[in-house]
Amino acid sequence: MPTNTVHVVTNAVHTLAGSEHLTEASGHGITHLMMLLILQLGVIIIAAKVGGFLFQRFLKMPTVLGELASGMLIGPYALGGMIDFPSIGILFAEHDGLAASAELYGIATLASIILLFLAGLETDLSAFLRYSVVGSFVGLGGLVFSFVLGDLCAVLWPNDIHSFMDPAALFLGVISVATSVGITARILAEKRKMASPEGVTILAGAVFDDVLGIITLAIVMGMADVSGTGGEVNWGRIGLIALKAIGFFVVVTALGLLFARRITAAIKQFRSREIMVATCFGLALLLAGLAEMAGLAMIIGAYIMGLALSRTDLAHEIEHHLQGVYNIMVPIFFCVMGMMVDFKAMKPVLYFGAVYSMLAVISKVVGCGLPAWLMRFNLRGSLRIGLGMLPRGEVALIVAGLGLARGVVDQGVFGVAIMMTVITTMLAPPLLVKSFERGSGVRKALDCGSENIETIELDLPSHDITEFLMQRFIHALQQEEFFVHNLHTEQPTYRVLKDDIAFTLVQDESKLQINVPSANQNVARMILLEEVLALSDLLESTKEMKGLDQMGTDLVSGLFA
Amino acid sequence: MNLKKVLAADAVWVDLKANTKAGILEEMVDRLVAAGKISDRETILEAIKDREAKMSTGMQNGVAIPHGKTDSVKQLIAAVGLQKEGVDFDSMDGLPCTIFIMTLSPIKRAGPHMQFLAEVSRLISQPAEREKLLAAKTHAEIYELLTGK
Repeated sequence: MPTNTVHVVTNAVHTLAGSEHLTEASGHGITHLMMLLILQLGVIIIAAKVGGFLFQRFLKMPTVLGELASGMLIGPYALGGMIDFPSIGILFAEHDGLAASAELYGIATLASIILLFLAGLETDLSAFLRYSVVGSFVGLGGLVFSFVLGDLCAVLWPNDIHSFMDPAALFLGVISVATSVGITARILAEKRKMASPEGVTILAGAVFDDVLGIITLAIVMGMADVSGTGGEVNWGRIGLIALKAIGFFVVVTALGLLFARRITAAIKQFRSREIMVATCFGLALLLAGLAEMAGLAMIIGAYIMGLALSRTDLAHEIEHHLQGVYNIMVPIFFCVMGMMVDFKAMKPVLYFGAVYSMLAVISKVVGCGLPAWLMRFNLRGSLRIGLGMLPRGEVALIVAGLGLARGVVDQGVFGVAIMMTVITTMLAPPLLVKSFERGSGVRKALDCGSENIETIELDLPSHDITEFLMQRFIHALQQEEFFVHNLHTEQPTYRVLKDDIAFTLVQDESKLQINVPSANQNVARMILLEEVLALSDLLESTKEMKGLDQMGTDLVSGLFA
Repeated sequence: MNLKKVLAADAVWVDLKANTKAGILEEMVDRLVAAGKISDRETILEAIKDREAKMSTGMQNGVAIPHGKTDSVKQLIAAVGLQKEGVDFDSMDGLPCTIFIMTLSPIKRAGPHMQFLAEVSRLISQPAEREKLLAAKTHAEIYELLTGK
């Protein structure tokens, strides 16, 4: 990557140096470049956010699709390439075969690092290490099937890819691996199936899928470098690279986990949250660079740093503080990815894209469904799990972008990857909802009482009180050392985890709802009871605020004097 | 959750004597003082009684879980006691209580405090487990029953 980046930067500067703008700007080359970048960023951020909003609000689709669509619209191959501004020129011009300038691509890369760092931070490693065996087989099955089918699809299609080890084929394999479980989680939460055996298995499977997907990417990057040099496939060397990639991942993650607490303890000496969070982010960037130097991708290093810090008590702080940066930066990444879709280049590969996308669907349904069916689920349950693992998203896009930047895949194949991501993400929600319409997904003989999900429901007098109680309850759960994850759904939904306890909290207007396996209902009920009692105390105490009327009068008196 | 980490062998009693709700609370706190687990008897008793005043912790089938939050303790303190004849504890089902699980936790300090109560009460939610517990004759026997799982 470094040589590539340098190449792109040189080209970008070169292109601009040769253009009339620089002459007009009379020596203010860098200022002009930055002005252009800032204008581009402004347009991108607004377009991405509006697109994301429209998709979520009106199509009930994940915002990432809206951000992608905005990128396609404003990119150099659509509107962006047509509108010529006076004294600026074309805002989004193609640079050396890339839709984004080196500067813009750099910012998108930083965004992808933030995305993966946070993904690592949010990983529930204890679930990964301890959770159901089924989850690991589901994740592994999906990975193997989608990698092999994705790669074979490229090899068997009449084109100039003839070997399974061809870098482009390997990339097409790895692009179709990573599941993006966000949208599935939202549907499971809305259908109150998060704590169902299928829900737990999908979420555990997704963690395996994430980690194994990153390792696969690391291996493929190495393999692509070797087999890309042409000639015979050198299995010995490829084996060595695979070993190196896995070694890097395992050793660095292990070291990270081992020293994470000590590192954070040292960082805590600063006694300022802002400094702590920024230092951790700096560490993530350092490890990202280190991973790139080791021949892996930067995102892998960022992910590992996130993973290592996920078990420390700073994890929540970092997540919380980076959320604002994430909200602004990550849409830039998806928008830039959308901008890179060259519709003309996609025309000849449209059929290929359709077949590739179809195989991406089949591979997850079969690859994840089969292990589920072999272990404890019936056909219905296995189908649900397969469909839940279906949507691809952020990581697929990042990997595709990586392939494009390295010149491993061309514009057409990149478009195909985007097409597959969009199709799988759009197909999953309706199919998943439909699949949950009927009975149990667990085989009768195994459908024991312990999997029964209880719904605890409190109907409070107003939406505001429910929201207040919900926040108190979440705080109490955190005090009890539970991990509470906001699923960022339209209806406020939280996933609560601790060791083998998992349940969901939903705020449905003025109702507070907890969906919890019978075996764990005691703890949820007892913690909630304490908060209800505290709330009634609080309400009682407001009556003692004798001067409430007086306070009101004091606040507004003189306003209209 | 490993109950052994929270529950000490010398905070488990098979032979509570008091026969009123207030008496049971006082006796358990006194025994904790005697075992050297706590020192500020009055403050702690007040915290527990405050909580009882909001709503009785007498549950169902003879189980009560009196608890309180106070900064007089530095960490979670837990105790389990039996009073086999039963005590009127204003329980939800009106039945006298025989099994008492007490916890004291610092006000702000995080930790699995309610989870401990929940785990123990889940353990004894089975009638067979409750019978075994009530049939216990020594402190050690209860301790083994609760933590041996």
